[in-house]
Amino acid sequence: MAVKRLKFQKENCIGCQLCMQACSGMHEGAFIPSKARLSIESYYDKGGDIKIGRHVCNLCGICEKECPFEAITIDEKVSVDFDKCTGCSICVEKCPQHVISMREDKAIICDTCDGETWCVKLCPHGALKFE
Amino acid sequence: MLGYQNKVLRINLDNKTYSTEPLNMDWAEKYIGGKGLGIKYIYEELTPGVDPLSPDNKLMFMTGPLTGTPAPCSGKLAIISKSPATGTILDCSIGGHSAIKVKYAGYDAIMFEGKLDQPGYISIEDDKIQFIDASDLWGKGSHETEGILADKYGTDTTILSIGPAGENLLPISCINSDYYRQAGRGGIGAVMGSKNLKAVTIKGTGAVTVDDSKKMVRKIAEILREDTTTEDNIWAYTDGTPGLVEACNDGGILPYKNFSDTTDVKWESYNSESIQANKHGKKGCGSCGLGCGNFTKIGDAICEGPEYETIAGAGPNCGISDLETIVKFNQVCDDLGMDTISASGALSYAMEMTEKGIHDFGITFGDKEKLIDYLYLMAKKEGVGADLVMGVKAMAAKYGGEDMAMHSKGLEFPLYDPRGSWAMGLAYAVSDRGGCHMRSYPAAEEVYAASIPPYTAEGKGKLVYDLAIYNAVKFSLIFCDFWALGLDRMAEVMTLATGKQFSEEDMNQIAERVIHLARAFNQREGFDRKDDTVPKRILNEVLKSGAAAGQKIPVGDFNKMLDEYYEVLGWSKEGKVPDSILSQL
Repeated sequence: MAVKRLKFQKENCIGCQLCMQACSGMHEGAFIPSKARLSIESYYDKGGDIKIGRHVCNLCGICEKECPFEAITIDEKVSVDFDKCTGCSICVEKCPQHVISMREDKAIICDTCDGETWCVKLCPHGALKFE
Repeated sequence: MLGYQNKVLRINLDNKTYSTEPLNMDWAEKYIGGKGLGIKYIYEELTPGVDPLSPDNKLMFMTGPLTGTPAPCSGKLAIISKSPATGTILDCSIGGHSAIKVKYAGYDAIMFEGKLDQPGYISIEDDKIQFIDASDLWGKGSHETEGILADKYGTDTTILSIGPAGENLLPISCINSDYYRQAGRGGIGAVMGSKNLKAVTIKGTGAVTVDDSKKMVRKIAEILREDTTTEDNIWAYTDGTPGLVEACNDGGILPYKNFSDTTDVKWESYNSESIQANKHGKKGCGSCGLGCGNFTKIGDAICEGPEYETIAGAGPNCGISDLETIVKFNQVCDDLGMDTISASGALSYAMEMTEKGIHDFGITFGDKEKLIDYLYLMAKKEGVGADLVMGVKAMAAKYGGEDMAMHSKGLEFPLYDPRGSWAMGLAYAVSDRGGCHMRSYPAAEEVYAASIPPYTAEGKGKLVYDLAIYNAVKFSLIFCDFWALGLDRMAEVMTLATGKQFSEEDMNQIAERVIHLARAFNQREGFDRKDDTVPKRILNEVLKSGAAAGQKIPVGDFNKMLDEYYEVLGWSKEGKVPDSILSQL
């Protein structure tokens, strides 16, 4: 069976950011979108068009491949071995989706809530899917 | 209590300083946040009789304990002040992302006091507050202003700004955010303008802490599916408010030519289907769940909306059916920083006055070019524009036609003819900020659901009270109008966030307190029964067309509704809040 990944369909996104609240609520113990492991923002570009900025992990595997310390493994989800992670930030630089952040010298990456994907469950109109 | 940041940011514009203080939790327990808590602060801090455009008036941004949490439809910011249009209390509710940014920046509320000596704006980035010169922005429209500031601060910074209308202190000016969202009514933009405050930019990166965030996410996922994106509410996403065009036209409450009649044979040219055919995307507020905003483009006219009020106001009530004109009207009003309801109300009054030969304002029904041209004259107070921006009450005092001036307490009517929904007439008359449909919305019962007979005074005082209770607590928690959640659900979500047990009865008590307090503010300013009025047209002239043809609200019936409303609230015959209630607030 193919690995399930987060998929984003922009036409269904209203820019509510409930996804980021869900993510931080499940991982950080508080609602703090700036620390969410995904970022989706919908805004009017000079009032003329709706633009969407999105940073969502799609399990592309580049972080796993680029990590010099083999700290990152991907099977059903991304796992970071904090004992091996040195905080070198190479994964942050190489991630094409710009979804990896560093906190206290450890890489913080979306773990799809171990398959629960609360961002998907709080997405009101199906812009985020896990399939 | 959890959910709150327990912090108020107080900005002194006179000497460009700021301070923080704990949120008054005694007040927060009684009024929660949003509308209620904002009114409490303004009630306590303003000197009675203060000139709304003087530095002594204050402007408050207020969130609530749910702001910044995933509680659906909880992303609205209350903006509270004393109204330059009516002299009453004024609380507005603005969508977009400003509310959640205030909260993530670490504050429950921001209080602006005094006046900048030169045009400026305030930049807030968490605990970093800067006072910045805005002489290069002064005079620019809200859209250009927002574009310039977005380039400087990035798109994850929310911008609230005023246009020329606010700068020129017009009583019909609004505050804009996210380009197309407004704190629209009562001249709130002029309060900002009077303080030389062009804009406020807010970026917040902090946390909102609740009782148990995991439990809240799990429960909200359930609520969202079972109670928010459901048949009762999904109209907001599929259609948005343009869906009301058909309902109001069918029900005989869609105003036509300055409320001289109702219903329009051309309604299909600006109904929901017509908007959908020109829709280029959807947009909701922070923490939404529905997403009512239709991003619409027709020719070079662009707006998010138009909402029902704007459609009906600039459309049939001005004798216009061309959708591109309506969208353009919306776009220009937003950019100039003008309230579409009051601006269209002033124009429709001017059109009728001109056609009846009472005073020549140079514009007649259906004149779609002048409808747009006049907005620019209004924003700059040039020529006839200087008259139009006074609002219909002041225009009628100067030029006559009082019966045609559709307002209560100087605030232009929303676009529901009360003769086809009698309780709506009472709702306008007793609304705390003048003619407004957001304090109690009985058209939903009398017309859309047709669950209560519309052309009778029977039980209408109680109906308006019940619906006012609902909105008062909803806007204090603070939820968006468009989620029809019950008081029990409100209590449940409050308990989830705060960890404190709330009941439906608590919601009722909070709501009643908010209604009393808003009335107490107005009472202190000299308002009473004599001000709870609707124009004579509603009481004397019967409708000629539509489902409500032959209807008016006979004055005896109007008074009966008013009596009942006061009685339910325990107010005197004169509409005064007794000392026994005042002492409890």
